[in-house]
Amino acid sequence: MRKNVIQLLARQLWQDAFRSKVMLIASALMLCLLLFSAYSGWENYHDQNFTRDEIQDEVEESWENNPDKHPHRMAHYGSFALRLKHVLSVFDMGMENFVGNAVFLEAHKQNTVNFSEASMSTGLLRFGEVSLAMLLKVIVPLLIFYLGFGTIARERENGTLKLLIGQGITRKEIVFGKWLGLWSLSLVFLGAIFLVLLLFVLVESHDSMHTDSLLRYVVLLVAYLLFFGILSAITILVSAFSATAKGALVKLLGIWLLFVIIVPKSLQAMGFYLYPTPSKIEMETAVEHDLAEIGDSHDPNDPHFKAMKDSVLRVHNVENVEDLPFNYGGFVMSQGEAMSTKIYLKHQEDLYEVYGKQNNLERYSAFINPYTAIKNLSMAFSGTDFQSFLHFKDEAETYRFKLAQDMNQLQMDLIPNKGKEGPNTISSDYWKEFPPFEYHFLSISDVFKNELISLLALVLWGGLAILGLLRLSTNLKAI
Amino acid sequence: MYSLLFKSFFRTKIFLVSLVLLLTVGVISILIGKQYLVKQEKTIAAAQVFQEESIKKNVDYHSEDLGLLLYYLRFTLIKKPQNINAISIGQSDVNPLLQAVTIRGLEAQKYDTDFENPSLLMSGNLDLGFVIIYLFPLVLIAMTFNLYSEEKELGTWRILAAQTSGKAKFLFKKLLVRILFVFAVLIFLMFLASAMLQIPMNANFWAIFIQSVLYVMFWSALCFWMVTLLKNSSFNALALISIWVVLTILIPALVNNYVINAYQVPEALDAMVEQRDGYHEKWDLEKDATMTEFIKAYPQYKNYPVPEDEFSWIWYYGMQFMGDFAAKETSAEMTEKIMLRNTASEKIALFVPTMHSQLSFNSLAGTDMLSHLDFLKSLTEFHKNLREGFYTKIFDHKSANAVDWKKHEAKFYEQDYSFSWLKLLLPTLLITFIIGILAGLNLRKL
Repeated sequence: MRKNVIQLLARQLWQDAFRSKVMLIASALMLCLLLFSAYSGWENYHDQNFTRDEIQDEVEESWENNPDKHPHRMAHYGSFALRLKHVLSVFDMGMENFVGNAVFLEAHKQNTVNFSEASMSTGLLRFGEVSLAMLLKVIVPLLIFYLGFGTIARERENGTLKLLIGQGITRKEIVFGKWLGLWSLSLVFLGAIFLVLLLFVLVESHDSMHTDSLLRYVVLLVAYLLFFGILSAITILVSAFSATAKGALVKLLGIWLLFVIIVPKSLQAMGFYLYPTPSKIEMETAVEHDLAEIGDSHDPNDPHFKAMKDSVLRVHNVENVEDLPFNYGGFVMSQGEAMSTKIYLKHQEDLYEVYGKQNNLERYSAFINPYTAIKNLSMAFSGTDFQSFLHFKDEAETYRFKLAQDMNQLQMDLIPNKGKEGPNTISSDYWKEFPPFEYHFLSISDVFKNELISLLALVLWGGLAILGLLRLSTNLKAI
Repeated sequence: MYSLLFKSFFRTKIFLVSLVLLLTVGVISILIGKQYLVKQEKTIAAAQVFQEESIKKNVDYHSEDLGLLLYYLRFTLIKKPQNINAISIGQSDVNPLLQAVTIRGLEAQKYDTDFENPSLLMSGNLDLGFVIIYLFPLVLIAMTFNLYSEEKELGTWRILAAQTSGKAKFLFKKLLVRILFVFAVLIFLMFLASAMLQIPMNANFWAIFIQSVLYVMFWSALCFWMVTLLKNSSFNALALISIWVVLTILIPALVNNYVINAYQVPEALDAMVEQRDGYHEKWDLEKDATMTEFIKAYPQYKNYPVPEDEFSWIWYYGMQFMGDFAAKETSAEMTEKIMLRNTASEKIALFVPTMHSQLSFNSLAGTDMLSHLDFLKSLTEFHKNLREGFYTKIFDHKSANAVDWKKHEAKFYEQDYSFSWLKLLLPTLLITFIIGILAGLNLRKL
């Protein structure tokens, strides 16, 4: 393969593209969309994070300002965890608007994460959202197909393909020249979007976050580079194997529809169909049932709690709970909290396992649909996938559990047993000491682990694309 | 003439592909609707059993103390689903169809969500509404984009032009054959849905039906207009798919982004915090701080004693009441904002048939945002009635026997399904009409 010939062919594709109206209209449209989505993404990110930050601080302040009181009142006073957006959510909104944003953390109870944007939106949300990533995932692939459907088919129709070969240009050079031309053309859009994104990443990330955000940024960039390379190869292949340019266009449009809309949506629906999930009320009933199996703390004669009491009394060698060196109420509460949390989490894990099964159908389809691979990678590295949400939820639940148990511990240590001398409240200094909720994003190595399948699929597709092009280089039909 | 046109159409590959595609996806979407209904029914049955059993169990434990008993008991209000929901699931997958609430502060319970897989929420339901809005136009495009250009490109147009008296008429008939086929499939799917999902043929069903027909007409007119521009096949395919992308993906998504950004709802989070603080701070204040406001709302309890150094239920439920009271304004502002989002979307949708269809499908099926807000409003009413029904008995230290628990089964909320025909049909009709005229004008030049 001669480098200059390939460059020449690629350049020719650029010239053809810029001469046609498609590229002109598309570029103008893309520019408008880019500006709009960058602006609205940034606004949304900023306003939302600002509000959530502010409320998180407010929550902390009101927590600290509580007067002296019984620690169990503070366990009920509880706290809130507000979900923060990763700076890369400006790029890909992913599930951002479909998961809740705030959760009330209190003793004895796991609340749902409420107030998702979706729950406050009109039905329009179902058409999707415009984000920088959406342009790269949905619109640019369509543009690649538009710009490339004729590359080989039309040249053959016009008879110029025969001429090229006649002039001593090898088939390999034609195939790779066209491919590189198309790919590099798509990188114009990629470059513009990633340039804007780089700005956001640099402006927003502070010290510790910097490397993490940049690393995520680089992975995204590489993934999209690869994705566009694959799409360009598909375009060239379809164009080469179609009798007419029109045929190639229709086929490519069909592929786009299948990849972007029909396959992901039907597989998601199928997953839901195959693995039904219980409703909240059903799960709550199941949790209550399991709790009742172990014991009922309300019932003074319940065997579980009676046995617990007896053993505690035996260990401390006393007759009555009043004589224990710690507050027995706090002890029962902390045991109950540990028990109910364990049961709840077990049920929740089962539920998420079903979600996992539902989603895997689509996830594994990445091997037949490169779009799925990029979709999942893009969300995950932008911190807007389901795993990122689960991570937030886990951190919130961990904090809730610690809050409840620390308050129980304070009660055990500092509140005297019934009938004993001593104050029924403790100093408000204890509230001030309790650290506020702080969210840390999923580490990048975890994201890699979560998205192994998508990465693998994308690399495989890359290999397949090169293989396809090489094969085409040997049996490209000139007429 | 028509029989010949039909015959030649039935022989095309695109006919077979479209037929199979529309029918399979259509039937799948109806099955998904069916599954959705089954899940709803199951949830409702579970909620009813849950409430009955939990009342029975808790009444046994806390029969002496009604105040404590009602701390635990949850009462369910169910948004009674109608089978028509299944055609356009809309927002009803994000917003739960039932709420089980205690008589404590409502604000903290009102927005509790059900468990839903966010991946599924994101990709959206594959309901019949989706098939109509997304797939039917695509099939129309696929069947009509080369209606004229193909003949031209194959060189058959000249022969045809010489043989037929009216070229335009011929083209129109060819188009009509394809459109009729699409309508046949649409009507078949609608009736199939009505039969499989047991949707009664009431005004709302017919409204969805007619709206679908109008929507497909709109796309037919658009395709026809494109054909009458007499461009080549590739141009037509490209242009029509671009229009499809703009109308079904870009514009609605842009409008959604705009509406979400223009009307942000920080009030939701504020109200949540206000409610907690409004309730909890009362524990540390003089009891008067609670009681004065509570008595203002419920003067009938002003003679009940509230001992300063002792816990009492009137004070406790007064504090709970104060939580909601503190968040009342912010909560109303939040509802206001959501209404604004809805109004803005609806107004813009009048000019975009895809959006208008989606929003009107949702509202006709009772799965739109407004119907959920309505449900929340009636939940507030339900909660108020519950509280007020129990207050006197609790404050009088009655035992659990004082309440007729049989009356407290899960309650159903009846949804309002009314709509305006004019607002529903006029926008699409007008746009279709205008495009039709434009196409007709082009045709005269043929």
